[in-house]
Amino acid sequence: MLVYFPYDYIYPEQYSYMQELKRTLDAKGHGVLEMPSGTGKTISLLSLIVAYQRAYPLEVTKLIYCSRTVPEIEKVVEELRKLMEFYAKETGETNKLLALALSSRKNLCVHPEVSSLRFGKEVDGKCHSLTASYIRAQRHSNPSQPICHFFEILHANIVVYSYHYLLDPKIADLVSKELAKKSVVVFDEAHNIDNVCIDSMSVNLTRRTLDRSQANVETLQNTIQRIKEIDAAKLKEEYRRLVEGLKEANVARETDIYLSNPVLPDEILQEAVPGSIRTAEHFVGFMKRLLEYLKSRLRVQHVVQESSPQFLKDIYEKVCIDRKPLRFCAERLRSLLRTLEITDIADFSPITLISHFATLVSTYSKGFTIIIEPFEDKTPTIANPVLHFSCMDPSIAIKPVFERFQSVIITSGTLSPLDIYPRILDFRPVTMSSFTMTLARTCLCPLIVGRGNDQVAISSKFETREDFAVIRNYGNLLLELSGIVPDGIVAFFTSYIYMENIVASWYEQGILENIQRNKLIFIETPDAAETSMALEKYQEACENGRGAILLSVARGKVSEGIDFVHHYGRAVIMFGVPYVYTQSRILKARLEYLRDQFQIRENDFLTFDAMRHAAQCVGRAIRGKTDYGLMIFADKRYARADKRGKLPRWIQEHISDGSLNLTIDETVQLSKHFLRQMAQPFRREDQLGLSLLTLDQLQSEETLQRIAQIAQQV
Amino acid sequence: MAASSEEVLLVVKKVRQKKQDGTLYLMAERIAWGPEGKDRFTVSHLYADIRCQKISPDGKAKIQLQLVLHTGESTTFHFANENSALRDRDAAKDLLQQLLPKFKKKANKELEEKNRMLQEDPVLFQLYKDLVVSQVISAEEFWANRLSMNSVNHSTSNNKQEVGISAAFLADIRPQTDGCNGLRYNLTSDIIESIFRTYPAVKQKYAENVPHNLTEKEFWTRFFQSHYFHRDRISTGLQDLFSECAKQDEKGLKSMVGQGVKNPLVDLQSLEDKALDEGYGTAATPSTSNSNRTVKENSNSAIIKRFNHHSAMVLAAGLHVEVVLQTSGWFSFHDLGDWYFPVGAIEYEDLQQEDGLKTVSLNLKKSDRYSHGPVPIQTQHYTTSQDIINSVILVQHEMANYKPCLTQVMSSTMASSAIVALSPGGVLMQAGTQQAINQMVPSEVQSELKHLYTAAGELLRHFWSCFPVNTPFLEEKVVKMRSNLERFQLTKLHPFQEKVQRQYFSTNLTGHLEEMLQTAYNKFHAWQTRRMMRKT
Repeated sequence: MLVYFPYDYIYPEQYSYMQELKRTLDAKGHGVLEMPSGTGKTISLLSLIVAYQRAYPLEVTKLIYCSRTVPEIEKVVEELRKLMEFYAKETGETNKLLALALSSRKNLCVHPEVSSLRFGKEVDGKCHSLTASYIRAQRHSNPSQPICHFFEILHANIVVYSYHYLLDPKIADLVSKELAKKSVVVFDEAHNIDNVCIDSMSVNLTRRTLDRSQANVETLQNTIQRIKEIDAAKLKEEYRRLVEGLKEANVARETDIYLSNPVLPDEILQEAVPGSIRTAEHFVGFMKRLLEYLKSRLRVQHVVQESSPQFLKDIYEKVCIDRKPLRFCAERLRSLLRTLEITDIADFSPITLISHFATLVSTYSKGFTIIIEPFEDKTPTIANPVLHFSCMDPSIAIKPVFERFQSVIITSGTLSPLDIYPRILDFRPVTMSSFTMTLARTCLCPLIVGRGNDQVAISSKFETREDFAVIRNYGNLLLELSGIVPDGIVAFFTSYIYMENIVASWYEQGILENIQRNKLIFIETPDAAETSMALEKYQEACENGRGAILLSVARGKVSEGIDFVHHYGRAVIMFGVPYVYTQSRILKARLEYLRDQFQIRENDFLTFDAMRHAAQCVGRAIRGKTDYGLMIFADKRYARADKRGKLPRWIQEHISDGSLNLTIDETVQLSKHFLRQMAQPFRREDQLGLSLLTLDQLQSEETLQRIAQIAQQV
Repeated sequence: MAASSEEVLLVVKKVRQKKQDGTLYLMAERIAWGPEGKDRFTVSHLYADIRCQKISPDGKAKIQLQLVLHTGESTTFHFANENSALRDRDAAKDLLQQLLPKFKKKANKELEEKNRMLQEDPVLFQLYKDLVVSQVISAEEFWANRLSMNSVNHSTSNNKQEVGISAAFLADIRPQTDGCNGLRYNLTSDIIESIFRTYPAVKQKYAENVPHNLTEKEFWTRFFQSHYFHRDRISTGLQDLFSECAKQDEKGLKSMVGQGVKNPLVDLQSLEDKALDEGYGTAATPSTSNSNRTVKENSNSAIIKRFNHHSAMVLAAGLHVEVVLQTSGWFSFHDLGDWYFPVGAIEYEDLQQEDGLKTVSLNLKKSDRYSHGPVPIQTQHYTTSQDIINSVILVQHEMANYKPCLTQVMSSTMASSAIVALSPGGVLMQAGTQQAINQMVPSEVQSELKHLYTAAGELLRHFWSCFPVNTPFLEEKVVKMRSNLERFQLTKLHPFQEKVQRQYFSTNLTGHLEEMLQTAYNKFHAWQTRRMMRKT
């Protein structure tokens, strides 16, 4: 098979990656592939799959590329454009591939008036009211002429969009259900895919939601009343359609055209909407009763946790709502909104939320839990009741994807330990590989700092996190490093509250002032706009040579979506192990579920989760082989084998025994040495043959043998 | 520089240094000390190197004078003459007091400039040695029209570059307890300027209130008392002068946030292709009310906000004066319709052939200074590698583009006849020596002659530049220059002539030089007689 690769050179691991990928496609199975960030995953994926499509047009018809953030999607499109240009140049034919990138209206809308709005919801509402049908603009098409993409999506060879378009049943139903079975689905940056799955299936209800739904119901009632006077036939027509029911949908599913919707299980399709909610007035009445019931539930004084069947039993006893009509709630509401020709969908989001909740709770008896908290843990005096309907099983949302598509590739820079993903997502991969980074020079330097200069162990664990000695040592570490690391330093804390506390005590102790002598300080805040500004200023300060420090939070927006290439991040410091807040009831329920259902011990999962976030954070600084950076793990617990072993292989293999449990002084010495070495000029000739290959070198036997060792099968 | 040739302003005997008796000399440009009975100095400091002088308190038994140098070193002299020690010391001190400021001001700027010129131009340096060191003309005269000539070219480099602000300038104001329940803050004009530049709101307040409402001292006292300075304190009352500043800052921060960010890669708001509506997801909805945040938490977040603001302001203050960096190749935005995407973010530079990555070039006036750090001034002239590369490239370029312009050349016969005419012995060269000079005399003599020529040229230039003589100043100068020329002829030219004639009898190497001098004398004479005539 001839693969066109749009660069003059190739990294050995890219070649290896393509080999594994091809094996997966050949086997028509799923794959889990881990390759370090900055080694060109995206382009390897694209060039191989496009080549595969051309070679076997009948085997693979479509590539669905899912990524996480908007800039990442844009990057993919750019790389694809590059690949296409290369194809056109090499083969001399105009490309026949149609690629399509989808995003929310906010990002794609070309209407000058609408696109000036900043919030997604407003845009959605406005757009809907302007066009009244599903119109989204596609960037490659003539921007003055909106094109309905639902048509195009069937014909496009490559589709690039966000995870949610495939995983979130509410959207997938609109966007992705007609995708052909012989597609390859790629989830890039998939280290958090389980959380995305869970998020898309979970619902939170507050008193405010309920109040607003109440208002929605009123509006509905009035509208129905009005329509009845004007155009009663319309409602009758709807009634008839509901009786005919969802038969069409059923036929479609049997003929294998649609991607099945987990919110709409098979049984529903075989039945018509039950009589009790078939007429519009009855349905509105039904919703009112449901709302009243939920309100009464929120009036509890203590925390309640129950399963879906318990909830259903209770609702039947209290307000005589059966399970069956509940299940049709979402479908019925959508139909009603369509019939009533309500254009401003955004206003009805609360009632839609309630209807989804009703459908979900009645459909799934397993994998979900309901938790009602009358107040927040920190503020027990202020009533703020919330009903969490929480999904605990990520496999529910992703199951249709695995079942439907012949190959699903899960890939990221940090997927270690690889074996846990198939377990929590409940699928059988045919390939699971982790690739290392071949390096002509060791451009990453992971150091584990376990002690301060005063020999006090430093750790963010709960018992010692308020200890002044620990905080002071953390401060000294940052201070020392700010003096020796050029340009940008990024520091991650385990949580926002922890960071606030530490910053405050550093301020009191005058540590921050001393740091300011070396570099400017910028700090992440919960406000996204403020943080964006801080981030931009941070980059500016790195750019003009002043140097800066960014204090940030693991699991925060910065740690998930921002790259610190080259001088934007010469050192990353991870203060503590970023464990998730374990006292949350939702998390506890999930851990319990994992233990019972998947035999994953609580501690294993928590460590896995913490380490993948730590790896994410420190991986932000290395974005390629010409890049270099320090990775400093400031917690003595990282030295333990169970933590260290869960780091990605490409980081782990550079941690020597000499870099465990260092003191701050030792760290500074090692860092100085490393930085001095890295600052020497780095040329292509140094890399060539080792970590960079020409076409000739790629064809030699010896190199191929070496490449074979890069991939580590699990 | 021979010590004997310097002007000695003051000599003080019996001065001890490191327990050794000796003599202290204060000269025009330096202070020196030599041990008794030796004719060389063991201690010698240029006045320009001295930062300050210190004297021992009056009551002390030892009467001492300490010189602190810019390098941090210090030298102590002990005046040991029993009856006049104090007087000696005071005389030395007073003289130093007069001399030091003169050098301090001038030294830094002017000396540097002069040194630079001498360093860059070896011919000039030689000239300086010939004329100034051997006291044909004084240093001032030598520089008089040099500097003005050059100041135009270098005025740009003389522009004082404004310095950015240290991020920790507030930290530098360390409060000191004064022992009785008070704090003392040390403010320097630098810090005040930093505060004003970073916090324009404070500057405005200052302009409003000082001096009509408050004295300067009061103003700063209030400033340090205000919560504005102590970032972790929550605003207490409205009477605080600076609560308004805090509000303005808040506004500034908001507007900065409101402007949004230009780089799509760091815009966190549009980062997520968020499809989840409100209410979905496991993440707990952030509490909307601020009321349940404790005071402590509030103050913590205030600190964080302030730090972000402070850093942004410091950065902005720096950017006002710095040349705004061009966007480097890393983030060169290329226009794709009306959306931007940084190219650098998706390219793997090591995967493709280099196509000359655009980088910001460091604009250095003196690149050698950058790579070597400050070095003692030496006479050698650096040719930086960049210069060499540039000139090689230039020559290559010229050669590549060289096209002989054949229509405008002379015919070969004419050319050869011109060459013959210009060769020694030819029509045009008969007056000159028949033999090439390099065959006649050894190279030392040649170089000496060369120096004489440049020196004479310089003097003559000075001389001729006085004409037409239309001001009294020029009159004075032209007389002086004539005497300079005569002195030159006497002290330099004649010894050389004699030497040459002793060794290489027949040749007259200095004929042309003398001719030139004679012309100058004639001119002077003519001018003088004319002046006399006019006077009479």
